[in-house]
Amino acid sequence: MTSLPYTTDVRPDTGLTNPKLGIWLFLASEVMLFGSLFSAYVLLRTGDPLWPDQSAVLNVPLATLNTIVLISSSITMVLAWEALKMRRIERYRLYMGLTLLLGAGFLLVKAIEYGDKFSHGLMPSTNNFLGLYFTMTGLHALHVLAGMVVNAYLLGPGVRMWQAEPERFTNRVEVAGIYWHFVDLIWIFLFPVLYLL
Amino acid sequence: MSPDTAPHVRRYVVVFGALLALTLTTVTISYLRLPSAPTVALGLTIAAAKAALVAMFFMHLKGERPMVCWPLALTAFLFAALFAFILWTEADHIVLTTTYHLPPTN
Repeated sequence: MTSLPYTTDVRPDTGLTNPKLGIWLFLASEVMLFGSLFSAYVLLRTGDPLWPDQSAVLNVPLATLNTIVLISSSITMVLAWEALKMRRIERYRLYMGLTLLLGAGFLLVKAIEYGDKFSHGLMPSTNNFLGLYFTMTGLHALHVLAGMVVNAYLLGPGVRMWQAEPERFTNRVEVAGIYWHFVDLIWIFLFPVLYLL
Repeated sequence: MSPDTAPHVRRYVVVFGALLALTLTTVTISYLRLPSAPTVALGLTIAAAKAALVAMFFMHLKGERPMVCWPLALTAFLFAALFAFILWTEADHIVLTTTYHLPPTN
């Protein structure tokens, strides 16, 4: 029935389903992507005696709210997967819907932040700090958006798979969840590095 | 897939509480305006603790197969090497000014 092998059964050699191994290898590459930007931050900040007071430029309370929003979306995402494991589809819909809502809230706050910076003439080209800030949070926001597209599919047309292949669908949601937690994890580092230090 | 996963749900809520507490702690510490070195050390330690909680419990890395853990260990090593080279490059003239007295940009 399935077109791809080992979506519900584990491979004998790896002991994992293919999607599970695949998402982790993908996340390993993402670590290096964001890692390169974090190391650029370290390189540019060390040795710069005129680095601006980050918490004076950026809005710390708003970003703290955003951190709580994203962490909350991580827990609703994992509760959505747990609901599928308990075969409670309506509960899944509720939690996945909440995850999407919280993700949208995060992006809305970021849009407000960016708009506020631009209205004060603070652009990526203004200085190294702002260049890094917009690049790193912008790339992160794109990752949030991509995750929301996947989650919206899994809440919308994708949920049809629950009828015919519930275990395969549950594994899909688990894998999407692992990606979503990673996006939260990146923000857990972005927030202190760009706003608090 | 057994239906009694309620204990797992309780664990997630506990982890969520811990993440909230650590978030508020890290923000509070930043308002103390400590010198740069302890600020960086504390901030990154708390971030690492939060990341470990998310990875272990939300991403189910705790008890995951070696086939997942070993590539991640390699990634962590390469990531550390990247940072080590950056810091080694700048080691003779690292400046980490406490910038609180400087005005905001432009």
